Amino acid sequence: MNDAECQGPGAYQEPSPAAPAPSFWRATWRNNFRQLVANPVGRIGVVLLALFALMAAASFLPPLIHPMYHPMTGVDPLIAHSTGPSWRHWLGTDFIGRDIFSQLLAGSRVAFMVGVSAALVSILVGTAVGMVAGYGGRIVDSLLMRLADIVMVMPTLLVVLILASLFGRLDIWTIVLLIALFRWPGVARVIRSRTLSLKHRPFIDAARIAGASHGRIILRHILPNVMPLALLYMTFRVTSAIIIEAALAFLGFGDPATVSWGMMLQWVWKTGHMFQAPYWLLPPGLCISLLTLSFYMIGRALEDVIDPRLRREEPDA
Amino acid sequence: MPMGRYLLGRVAESVLVFFVILTVFFFLFRLAPGDPVSRLVDPGMTPEEAALLTAQLGLDQPAGKQYLIFIANFFRGHFGVSFHYGRPVAEIIARRLPNTILLFTSAVLISALAGIRLGKIAAWRKGGRLDTWMTIGALVCHTLFLPWVALLLIWLLSFQVGWFPITGMISPELWIVGDVTWLEKGLDILHHLALPLMTLFLIHFGSYLLIMRGSMLETLNEDYIFTARAKGLPERVIRERHAAPNAALPVVTGVALSLAFSINGGALTETVFSWPGIGRELVFAVSNNDYPLAMGCFLLISAVVLAANIVVDLLYALLDPRIRYG
Repeated sequence: MNDAECQGPGAYQEPSPAAPAPSFWRATWRNNFRQLVANPVGRIGVVLLALFALMAAASFLPPLIHPMYHPMTGVDPLIAHSTGPSWRHWLGTDFIGRDIFSQLLAGSRVAFMVGVSAALVSILVGTAVGMVAGYGGRIVDSLLMRLADIVMVMPTLLVVLILASLFGRLDIWTIVLLIALFRWPGVARVIRSRTLSLKHRPFIDAARIAGASHGRIILRHILPNVMPLALLYMTFRVTSAIIIEAALAFLGFGDPATVSWGMMLQWVWKTGHMFQAPYWLLPPGLCISLLTLSFYMIGRALEDVIDPRLRREEPDA
Repeated sequence: MPMGRYLLGRVAESVLVFFVILTVFFFLFRLAPGDPVSRLVDPGMTPEEAALLTAQLGLDQPAGKQYLIFIANFFRGHFGVSFHYGRPVAEIIARRLPNTILLFTSAVLISALAGIRLGKIAAWRKGGRLDTWMTIGALVCHTLFLPWVALLLIWLLSFQVGWFPITGMISPELWIVGDVTWLEKGLDILHHLALPLMTLFLIHFGSYLLIMRGSMLETLNEDYIFTARAKGLPERVIRERHAAPNAALPVVTGVALSLAFSINGGALTETVFSWPGIGRELVFAVSNNDYPLAMGCFLLISAVVLAANIVVDLLYALLDPRIRYG
């Protein structure tokens, strides 16, 4: 806050918080992580996330143990219908004798893949649009924001459903891309309003006077300042991407070559096993719910770390 | 009158947005692989029959002209004919719409009211055990996977306990009989409504609770709450009369902002419970490649979201006298 006291005449430092030394970032990161796990909500989120990451990492193992544990093509030669949990199949088998536990592990990998990549793309687009709109102002701003409004009123799941029926079966990466392309406006709005509040700060004026180009100002001075916000929104986008992909697969429009949790639920539902096979109905839905919960909880806790005004006081005795 | 002008501007903007969506979807349907004729024409038809059908549907006209005809028809209320039902899309939608409105509005209202009440209590006991559990409970409910919850509720309350019918909106055997009273029919619908309503409630009330809690915490830090305390008003009055009404405002916007999200959930709920509404019809149309019906349902939903955004803006101005448009 107090700039005057530490700066002698030749000791000028760039007055912007942009591009600090790497050690600064490392310290900040460590500090933020500590704050994140200090919050019970954040702690639960991180633990759950670690658990699912472990599951995703372990998804390569079952097919190595025996080909019948392959989530998609592995069929137990002794079983031709759905059976309950046993030593051979920890969570039982599905309607053609595939191992539910290995499918669950594979589903974890798919969920991470879908969630993180869709969130990354939508955050990239949203941040870029938001910064350009906020910094550019005038026509650029209103054009981009109207575009955001248009995309925003369309319920993503239904749009992707219609596209899936128009263009035939979509593979998993097309689904990821479509989800991302319909989920950026919320991010763009937030980043835009943050950019607007940054735009007239002294350090931006200083950069402009020093001759920095618009591109340089956006990338070097605005981007680092909206980054935490973008990161925060990314956790929420991961949640929504996982849910949309799962819902799509549940309705029968998923990638047929991928075993996702939504797909597993669709199999239970469509093959009429939901009343006979609770061991098959419970795990996939539980996993979708818990993984989205973990990202959501981390997001909520991050919100407190990033925006100190929201930070609760320490609970004193 | 700045308010009137604001309203006019918003309506004009929304109509424009709707037009863009309409146009994008029109050309998207043309862009889809395989020309529309080959999708419609039966392979068993003679070339003459095929040509006749093509001409009847106007598919022999250039795309620009097709677009103009499409727009003109749209504003005369002709949204096309459903491939599957063979009846006008408008008629099908009109029949499905009340069912969706019944399910959706009751779900949103009940969950918003519950969310506001519970969020108020949570914020009031901030940091306490009740608050912690309510917050975590709301987070958990909010991220539950909707179709899974629906299936679980059917499995538990319909199949195991037998309290509620498994799917549908009415029991046909009851309605065919004829000598049943209005009351019995109404109760039958309510009986079928219970589970879908419960599903939507579980998913939605959590987010409203969290919004209300956050906004209530902010309100409680305001100076006028401090003043009310200094005046010696009872705590209950401060909570109910001074803090809660102001804190509830963001929940209203929350409802509107999450509308697109809620509609996704509504479509899933209707599909799982076979509730004969717009959302299920859309999913059904998409599965059957019934493009006119799918497009009709989708455009209706977009229009509703746009209109709801305007209504919420106005409601907000009505509820919060500090907001002035102009």
